[in-house]
Formats: sequence, structure tokens, C-alpha cells
Amino acid sequence: MAAAPAAPGTPVTPADRRGLGGRARRRIQNGWVFVLMVGVAIVMLYPFYYLLNNAFRTQGQFDQQRGHSLHSWSQLFQELPAGRELANSALICVASIAIILVVSTTAGFAFAKLRFRGSGTVFLLVVAALMVPLQSIIIPEYVNLAKLGLINTYLGAILVYAALGTPFATFLMATYYRGISDDLIEAAVMDGLGYERTFLRIALPLSLPAIATVAVLQFIQIWDDLLVALLFLPNPGQRTITYGLAALSAGRTTTIPVLMAGSFLSAVPAIVVYLIFQRYLIRGLTLGMGK
Amino acid sequence: MSLTEAEPAGAVSGVPRRGNTRWRATGRSRLAARRRRAGILLSLPAVVMVVALLGVPVGQAVYYSMTTWNGISSTWIGPSTYSTALTDPIFWRVLENNGLLLLAIPFAIGIPLGIAALLNEHVRGWRFFRSVYFLPTAVSWVVIGMVATQFFALNGLMNKMLSAVGLASLRTDMLAGQRSALIALAITFVWSMLGTNTIIFLTGMATLDPTLLEAARVDGLNRRQIFFRVTLPLLKRFVQFSFVITVISAFSALFSLIFVMTSGGPGFGTTTLEFFIYQSAFSNGAFGTGALYGIILFVIMIVVGLVQLRLIRSEDGEGW
Repeated sequence: MAAAPAAPGTPVTPADRRGLGGRARRRIQNGWVFVLMVGVAIVMLYPFYYLLNNAFRTQGQFDQQRGHSLHSWSQLFQELPAGRELANSALICVASIAIILVVSTTAGFAFAKLRFRGSGTVFLLVVAALMVPLQSIIIPEYVNLAKLGLINTYLGAILVYAALGTPFATFLMATYYRGISDDLIEAAVMDGLGYERTFLRIALPLSLPAIATVAVLQFIQIWDDLLVALLFLPNPGQRTITYGLAALSAGRTTTIPVLMAGSFLSAVPAIVVYLIFQRYLIRGLTLGMGK
Repeated sequence: MSLTEAEPAGAVSGVPRRGNTRWRATGRSRLAARRRRAGILLSLPAVVMVVALLGVPVGQAVYYSMTTWNGISSTWIGPSTYSTALTDPIFWRVLENNGLLLLAIPFAIGIPLGIAALLNEHVRGWRFFRSVYFLPTAVSWVVIGMVATQFFALNGLMNKMLSAVGLASLRTDMLAGQRSALIALAITFVWSMLGTNTIIFLTGMATLDPTLLEAARVDGLNRRQIFFRVTLPLLKRFVQFSFVITVISAFSALFSLIFVMTSGGPGFGTTTLEFFIYQSAFSNGAFGTGALYGIILFVIMIVVGLVQLRLIRSEDGEGW
């Protein structure tokens, strides 16, 4: 449906007539766009600058806003078992994401390619669980897991995170598998692979980009979470770094530079993951829109 | 299916073609049975997990919302718990905070629309800036809240900037006043949503037909006119999507931010419904009341979701 090409010899359009003048004006406009983009970038980056700048100060230097030192870092490691908490966060993230990936790839494949009677309804119910706010179910969830003795265990928090991540991950994987041709799956099954092995050998390797998207989205979500950790891992030994930091801040005895150092430390892993995998993160967001 | 299947099976069994068809039919149905079994088997773990850890607690929350419950023993009261809770002035004070937070939504959507329009000019370096703007999405609300607290503090950057431009008389400790603390919270929220919403709109703008924009340009429309008359109407569904995401975040994702910045205070100045649920249950031990507020939050979310669905269905035919 392209516009009809201009016949040779047609009079020039107003846009053409602008010629050089238009180009110069466009360059000036681009300059303004650039300046505005830099302005927004300063607003977005300032907090990170503030974090870094003040993490390397003593309280005295912070009050003066002058000079730098490593003092608050050694202070941080005295007040916060940061190594332990980073390891806790990593363990919980990896285990939760592993569970989410297993159940969402299998279920996504089943809902997309192995339809059975009622599978559409079941799929809708799973995805509808996305609308349940965590706060609405957190109280019964807490009591249930307490009855099972899972408070203060990694397993309890891992299960909650895994359940919370599953609806969206399943939706995303199903969307992705729908894009794989039915013929390919049927051919593999006819070749005697069986549905389970067709999933493992054919579909799963094809869905690596979607798997990466789920993993990155969930990593950032779980790493940054406070509420679940706060309730399900109250014991200092099991705390995640995000919770440890919030607890440190709630204590009101820690100096601001130490808090800034802790903030920086807790933010780095998620930022690194973001910088490396940002295109998967963006894809996840747009897939969420059903694009 | 075809006529052949309706005929008695034994009638022309000698014809090879017929036998072949039957073989294929039973083979296919056996395959279909296997497929059904595999489908159920593979979807089971996800279904069990969602039902056990998300579905059942919703039912429990409804039940416990009609009891007085301290987490160990519960006494059945009935639906009257809702009328009791709805006449509690503190509940309405909390809901008022949620309502006021909605006033931040136009900013949380409008500013990213502008930023996306800037990036969409594809001026040199726009990809870098896109990464920078999206960066806060990776950072926890705990960290954001901690820096924001410093920003709004009496000796923080905001007050320093006010002094620098000769408005020292306006210096305030925003987090110390009920309304001003809520405003500070809202500003931090808007800042945090900029990246996400910008990416949504940028994605939307990438789907626009460039010939349409070129046509508008040839017609002599300037950039502003093109944006408001051509781009924005075409982005409607993306605006709707970001609206829902933003409302959901405002009502159910700010727990950590409130926890770190204000703990819900001063007074109930920054206690939103989601924070109130936590406070009721885990600070005051009123698990039943907490569950009740949880159900109210859930209902609000469903209403937002349904309104969104309605908008898409009625105006967009195909949906997405």
C-alpha cells in the first residue's frame, strides 16, 4: 500500500523546497533534543552518583561534603554480614529461577502445543493469578508455611518466589512456543521422539531467548524484593542482602555513608545483570504487552 | 469426518485404502491420547504450584477476612467484619492516600511519553540514553528509597537547590509532614516509573508506520503537531497498558519504598492499603483484619484490570 511514486517532472513538494534551510533547522532541533536527553540522563543518574560519592566518605566527610575515604566500607562489613547475605540472595535467586524455568517451560509448551480438554481454561486461570497482589495473600501464605515449619528456611522463601514468578513466566513461554510451527513438533513426534522428548530436544533449545528473558526478569525481581524476605526469612543468618540493608536502615543507628556503601553493594549484581542482558529485559516487557 | 468412517467397519475390509485409513485413524487417536497425557503431565507442576501457593491462599484470605484471627486461632464473625472495617476512619484515611497517589499517574505517564518522543528522534547516542533511563528498573526500591530519603532531607539536594535559586524560605523537611511526605513518595515513584514507561512508549513508537509520519511531515505539520495529532492517537493501547502497569505498581509495589522512606508515617500520612495490610497483621497481630484489607486491595486490582479489558474490547476490536 505504498503511495504512488511521483511521476517524473512533478513539481517539488514543500518539503523539498525547504532544502538546505530545512536541513539546518533540523540540525538545530537535533541539538535541542540532545541537550534535553542529557538533562534527563542527569536526573536518572544523579542517585547513582550520590551513592558512589558518599559511600566513600566518613560521617565527618559527609557532613562537610568534602574528602573521601574507605572507612565506611570497613564499617559496613562490621555491621552487615554482607558476604553471607549476598550468598543467601544468590542461592535463593538461583533456586527460585530454576523452579520457575522448569515449571513454566513445561507448562508453556503444554498450553501452546499439547492442548487437552480444558487446557485453555486452565491456562487462563494460571495467567489470572498474575492479578493477585502479593499483599492480598501474604497473610494466609505466611501462616500456611509457618504450619509447615518453613519460616526461616530457604525453601519457604524459594517456594513463594517461584509461585509468584510462575504465572507471568508461563504466559511468556506459552506465547513464545505458539510461535514455533506445529508441523515441526508433529514431525518430531512422528519420528518417534514422543512428546516429552520432543519438548526436551526440539522445543526447549529453540526457546533459549525466552528462557533468558524469564531468568533476567525474575533475577531482578527476586534480588530486589523486600516483603517476602522480611516475612519468611526473619532470622539474620538467612537474610537476603536487600533485607539486610533495609534492616540496617530501619535500625537508625547506621551512618548515611555506611548505608550508601551497603546500597551500592546490594545494587551492583542486579545492575550488572541488567547491563549484560538488558535486551532480554526489554523484550520481556514488550512480550508482556503481547507484542 | 468423511463418509467412510460412518460405514460399518467390516463391509469393505478387503480394500487396502480403507484399511490404511482406519490404521491412521486409530494411530492418530492413540497419538492424541498420548498428547493429552503429555499435556496434562507437563502443565501439572505449574498448575499445582499456582493453585497451592496463590489460589488456595486467596480462598483462605476470603474466609479469614470474616473472622477475628491472630494467626493461631480464629473466631468466625461473618460478613459483618466488612461493615466494621469500612466504618473505621483510619481505613478511609489510608484509602485517601491511595487516591492521592493516583494524582501522580498523569506525571508517571506524561513525562515518559515526552522522553520517548525525544529518544524516537533517533539523535546520535539515543541507544545509550535509553539504557541510562531504564537503569533504575534494575535497582531495588530499598536502595531508591534510601537515596530519596537523603534527597528530601533538610540538608539534602532538594533544599540546597531551593536555597541556590534564592528560595531558601521554602526549605522544608518534606518527610516530616503528612501531605509533603506523600508528595515526596509520589515524586520518587514517578522517577522510578520513568524507565519502564519510556520503554513501553518507545516500543509503541517503533510500531508506527513511518510513511504515515512522513505524510504528516509533507503536509506541513511540525513536530509538535505530528506528536499530538498522529503519534499520540496511534499509541492509545500502549498508553492504556502503561496506565494499568502504573496503577498496579502504585497500589501494590511501593511496600519497600514506604518501609524505607517513612514506615507509613508521619501518622498515617504515607500508609497506603498495601502497607496497612502488613501493619495490621504483622505489627498489630490482627491477621483477620489484614486479610480483609488484602481482599479489598485484590478487588480494586480486579476492577482496574476489568476496566482495562473493557477499554481494549470496546475500542480496539482485535485486542492484544
